[in-house]
Amino acid sequence: MTNFYRVSTANMYDATLRNLNARQKSLVDLQENLTSGKRVVRASDDPVAAAQAERALTRISRIQTEQRALEVQRNAIAQAESTLGDAIGLVQEIRQLVVAAGGGALKPEDRKTYADQIQSLREQLTDVINRKDTNGIPLLGALGSALQPFAGPLSGSPDYLFAGLPGQAGSSGTAIATTLDGHSALMFDPRRDGVYQAGVSTIPADRSLTTSAITAVDRNQITGDGYRVDFTAVGPGATPGTTTATYTITNTATGVTSAPVTVPDFASDKPATIAVTGVPGMTFSISGTPAAGDAVTLQPSSSLMSTIDSAIEGIGGAANNNAATQAVGQALANIDAGMERLNNMRGYAGELLNRADRITGDQSQRSIQLEADRSRAEDLDMVQGISGFQNAQVGYQAALQSYAMVQKLSLFNFMS
Amino acid sequence: MSLLNVGARALLANQVALQTTGHNIANVSTAGYSRQSVAMQTVQGQFTGSGYIGNGVNVATILRNHNELLTRQAAAAQAVQAGDSVRSERLSQLQDVFQGGTSGLGAAITDMLNSLADVVASPNDITARTVTLTRMNEMAARMRSSAEQLQEIQYSVTEQLKNDATRINQLASSIAEANEQIARVRGNGQSPNDLLDKRDQLIRELNQYIQTTQIPADDGSVGVFVGGSQALVLGSTATSVSVDESQLFPGSGQMRLLFNRPGATPVELEEGMLGGGEVAGLLRFVNNDLAEGRNLLGRMALAIGTTMNYQQTQGLTLDGQPGKPLFSTPASIQGYTQGAAQGSIDLSDSSKFSPTKFAASDYEVRFTTPPAGQVVRLSDGKTTAFTDLNDLRGQQIDGLTFDFTTAGAAGERVLFKPFASAAANIQSLVYSPRDLAAANPVNAAMGTSNTGTLQLAELKAVGPALTLPPDGDTANTPPAFPGGIQLQFHAGPPATFDVVNQGAAPPTTVATGQSYTPGQPIQIDGWSITLQGTPQDGDTVTVGNALDPQYGDGYTRNAGNASALMQLRDVKMFDESTLSDGYAGLMAQVGTRTQSAQYAAKLSDSIASNLEASRTAVSGVNLDEEAARLIQYQQAYQASAKMLQIAQNIFDNLIQSMGR
Repeated sequence: MTNFYRVSTANMYDATLRNLNARQKSLVDLQENLTSGKRVVRASDDPVAAAQAERALTRISRIQTEQRALEVQRNAIAQAESTLGDAIGLVQEIRQLVVAAGGGALKPEDRKTYADQIQSLREQLTDVINRKDTNGIPLLGALGSALQPFAGPLSGSPDYLFAGLPGQAGSSGTAIATTLDGHSALMFDPRRDGVYQAGVSTIPADRSLTTSAITAVDRNQITGDGYRVDFTAVGPGATPGTTTATYTITNTATGVTSAPVTVPDFASDKPATIAVTGVPGMTFSISGTPAAGDAVTLQPSSSLMSTIDSAIEGIGGAANNNAATQAVGQALANIDAGMERLNNMRGYAGELLNRADRITGDQSQRSIQLEADRSRAEDLDMVQGISGFQNAQVGYQAALQSYAMVQKLSLFNFMS
Repeated sequence: MSLLNVGARALLANQVALQTTGHNIANVSTAGYSRQSVAMQTVQGQFTGSGYIGNGVNVATILRNHNELLTRQAAAAQAVQAGDSVRSERLSQLQDVFQGGTSGLGAAITDMLNSLADVVASPNDITARTVTLTRMNEMAARMRSSAEQLQEIQYSVTEQLKNDATRINQLASSIAEANEQIARVRGNGQSPNDLLDKRDQLIRELNQYIQTTQIPADDGSVGVFVGGSQALVLGSTATSVSVDESQLFPGSGQMRLLFNRPGATPVELEEGMLGGGEVAGLLRFVNNDLAEGRNLLGRMALAIGTTMNYQQTQGLTLDGQPGKPLFSTPASIQGYTQGAAQGSIDLSDSSKFSPTKFAASDYEVRFTTPPAGQVVRLSDGKTTAFTDLNDLRGQQIDGLTFDFTTAGAAGERVLFKPFASAAANIQSLVYSPRDLAAANPVNAAMGTSNTGTLQLAELKAVGPALTLPPDGDTANTPPAFPGGIQLQFHAGPPATFDVVNQGAAPPTTVATGQSYTPGQPIQIDGWSITLQGTPQDGDTVTVGNALDPQYGDGYTRNAGNASALMQLRDVKMFDESTLSDGYAGLMAQVGTRTQSAQYAAKLSDSIASNLEASRTAVSGVNLDEEAARLIQYQQAYQASAKMLQIAQNIFDNLIQSMGR
């Protein structure tokens, strides 16, 4: 008899049992998927999806960390921006006082009062610019600084120092800088800014001699040295009613004196305006009635605070109106230059805050996308899961019932 | 008279048939039972003048329905199935060690590196540093505990192997006994069906543990061979096996099945030679899968430990000292060998190994013709040849340098397991928050008269040989030279820069005309600076020594090295995957192995069950068939009994008609 059609009873039961077990196992697995909500419970269910989900989780947690750091950075820059705002407010008040101190009818005592007021505002300014953030890092500390980035007033030259590493830290796609470049905001560099202070020697009360603001024409030529313009000879000119003047420019650092420059004749009855172009990189004009022996000294200003200090000295210690006018004129010009830099830096701080907002927007979008990736890789589609479970349940039930039924069929039942 | 004889014989024959059918029914569920059927033979006819008259029926023999080929095939398939399913079970256990999600080892590593962001935000905050050090400790603890779990699995597998070896020995001696019994009764002329069934069942059980080949001998015994050619049972003698570490690589933990021939050294059988069976599956698991799991974990521990240690030693602590290593990593790895070769891998000198090139594998150094030979990477068999020990010492194979002091003899093999113990022994070494080297050893300043838009994107120490920029002049005020290395830019286009050393007056130019690309790191003297923006002519950037007295304590508020540690997240470290993605790759690798083992187990399971169905189609008992045969033989018995009755009737008739 051929064995093709034979099946052993024990083997039949074994095979059915195995199938029942397999069905039950798959039912239990589907149930596990439903209760955990995950399609991929173990890595062996779908290794690629498990790895994708794990990577998505890593990236999500990294975005969370970056956002947290960004909040700290944003706070620091917001504080820095408000510090700059306070500084600008103080400097504006100082400017108004300087303008007021330039009034012609003031007596020296009044000017002394103004000078004291400006002094107190300048002290407040020094405190404001040395502010630190909640972690004790100076807000204007640039690339790294001492605990007080702005050191001064110091005796000796220069009178204000930036005790730190100038420069701005860059921002990236996920972070912004935490400090602003204080050197760029408040200090002057001769070549970068070309801010010079001009002072005149004491002029007797019957004459006047003042200078205009010193403007830079070619920054590359500026040496950063001090200069002195000495009027060597002032005398009647060729035409009657004119005066001629000659002056030399001396570089006080190197001691080199230029050749005498003769000013074209100017009318004696009106104050003259003499343009001085001999100083490398800068021009300014001297107006008034010069006499031999008058000197104009030019000093580079090291910072906005030095300018304010010079204003305080110049206004408070003005010997006469001429000196006061000179001091006020220089102060206004240089304070304006300083304010421009402060405003620039404040604008940059505002832009950094905007950048932080944009970064936050980008990061939250990325985060949503990554969560979607993770869910797609790992999570169970509930509808699919439930329908699969129902199918498996029905199949298992059918297998159980058929097993019970087949077992009843046997030839022994029909043998009497 | 002869009718009586025929009837009596028929009765007996049918009685035997009924008993045999009953025997079959009784043994319907006995494992390994081959159904027996009665082979009837007609008795030779007696020659008479009217022809050969038949003389009834005889039971010739009780046939054992049995197909040798199917039995052998079914046993072999069951062996393969046993091996695959035990390996699949154990791999599921292994997979559970490497869980993913927010409580897994990968999340611990990511959290540890992410916690450095708080240190970067506030470099002198002790709390942030403490949190980072705690997370490092936790990561090391998790790695150790994963390694311990792997060790537990190894231990339980070794125990199971030992138990299996004992069982194999028991079965082998039972088979030998059965062989003897069968040989003894062979002379009787009839086949000892039940003894044969018992022996076949023993062999089938043996195949669960180890796949065997059976060669029948002339005396009726069956020789059982394992590993293709080792005689486990020969006639009535059984040889024993045991499971132990390979003597070729003492101390390495590689397991082998040892075949203990009496009076000779044991023969080592590895899993490739064994075919199927639980022992083969477990050996395969221990020597390949568990080893790979351990190597993957160890490579992760070693790579993370050594790279973080390296970066930490580049930086400065809060007290201005160079950092000390964060994690304990093995200093050197010895090779395992039976012979005289002495070799090791040096892991203490950072110039001798490259963590980014590690491959998760064990290595064998084979001396083919000493001192030349080849290094084999065991995970995929890739070989690298070397000509002598200096040549071997001079090259880095997968980031490792093999340093041999003594070469081996010809044919000697030395096994290296560089990653086996890294995860079990990793400890966090830095406990004081001040000792976290968050500060950079160098700092940067832009020139104050810069008119371009240069900004500092990144500054860090990268090594390998970090030379700090020179200090400024401390003897004179004002200082005669400012110190540091200055980069002087030219606008171009293309933008270039010169490198000037300002350590003395006058400064010395180190390099000129280096090309500048915004956002590209510039590496000089072991530190690297990345700038953004476009320079104008005359713009400068000065890089100085952070501990230079002119900068005071600025380094305590610097967190550049902490940033550099965080950037390790993006270094490609594990086969082209970054450090933070390394664990996902590990999970996928172990998961893929487990999945393919599961498929293999399912496949071999279905093959085995099909073959078993085929075998039982020949040898198994079908109750309905036996019931039908019962009816058949019962009817025949009744007919035979009737025949006797008729014979008796005839005799009675004859006697009656004869008598008066």
